[in-house]
Amino acid sequence: MSEMSIDKAPAEIPAVVLRQPEGAGGHEHNAQAHNENLKFATWLYLASEVVIFASLIAMFVLFRLHSPEAVFQVHEEANIWLVTANTFLLLTSSWAMVMGLREVRRDNAPGLVRWIGLTALLGAVFVGLQYVEYSELSHAGITLYSSEFGMRFYAPTAFHGAHVIVGVLWALYIVRNGMKGRYNAHNYIGVEIFGLYWHFVDVVWILLFTLIYLV
Amino acid sequence: MAEEHVTQAEAEVKHETAHVGKHYDEDKTVIMGREIPLPIYTVVYGALGVLTLIEVTLSQLPRGFLTIPVMLLIALLKAGLVVWFYMHLNTDSRIFAITLIAPVVMVLLATLFLMIVPTGY
Repeated sequence: MSEMSIDKAPAEIPAVVLRQPEGAGGHEHNAQAHNENLKFATWLYLASEVVIFASLIAMFVLFRLHSPEAVFQVHEEANIWLVTANTFLLLTSSWAMVMGLREVRRDNAPGLVRWIGLTALLGAVFVGLQYVEYSELSHAGITLYSSEFGMRFYAPTAFHGAHVIVGVLWALYIVRNGMKGRYNAHNYIGVEIFGLYWHFVDVVWILLFTLIYLV
Repeated sequence: MAEEHVTQAEAEVKHETAHVGKHYDEDKTVIMGREIPLPIYTVVYGALGVLTLIEVTLSQLPRGFLTIPVMLLIALLKAGLVVWFYMHLNTDSRIFAITLIAPVVMVLLATLFLMIVPTGY
């Protein structure tokens, strides 16, 4: 039985090999195509996230249009300076993320570890300050079920916070891999994929910050 | 023929590398002919910070009829900067941009539908 398989194999293998570009350049080209596929898969995943976040944001916007006075009351209770500080933390973390990617493109693994470590730290502080903000709002009587506003406020912001927590853990994983020397100028797709996720989380916060806390 | 193929593949890889290096690794940024001794990522970060400060300042001032549209435009501009430069849509495949825009359009249409039809909301 096994001999039959061996006999058949030579007739099948060339068909597979013909699909592969020849030489070292072909190998790099394949790796590049693989990376593009990974990035496309990540964008498809982010598209699904867009639907969820956009629905939550739309729910808030509709409430804001129909009950502006309820939102204004919450604006008075919310600590806008705390949220602004948090916004700057996330913007800075996004900058640190992309600077880390820049370092690994330059084959500077220690630089990558430093910048992504900073990204993780800033993300963790963001989550901590979001906890402080929720505590303040809770003491002011704004809870999940206290009013029609509660659910519409906490659903998008807490869902976003959960994404930041996942991002921090992912950043720590990148730092660990970076310290083990697993990334270099020719292999950094893992960092790039994480970057897409982290910047997406940043974009969502940019919109949430304006729509929920400022407008 | 095989050598020609390898040469072409290597040339493509070199072209990609040069393309990436040009956009991501330079230490200076040129804006409207003026050279800034900072990477594009840092310039974008500065712009994001300034735009955020403008937004917060606007939110604390008495509201005019343009205040909210201006704040929304600033938010969209900030989001666009991140997507364009940090998520590399300026250099990556257009299909990625379509992947991002399609669900946004879909949800916008759904929301407009909810606002137009008498749902009793």
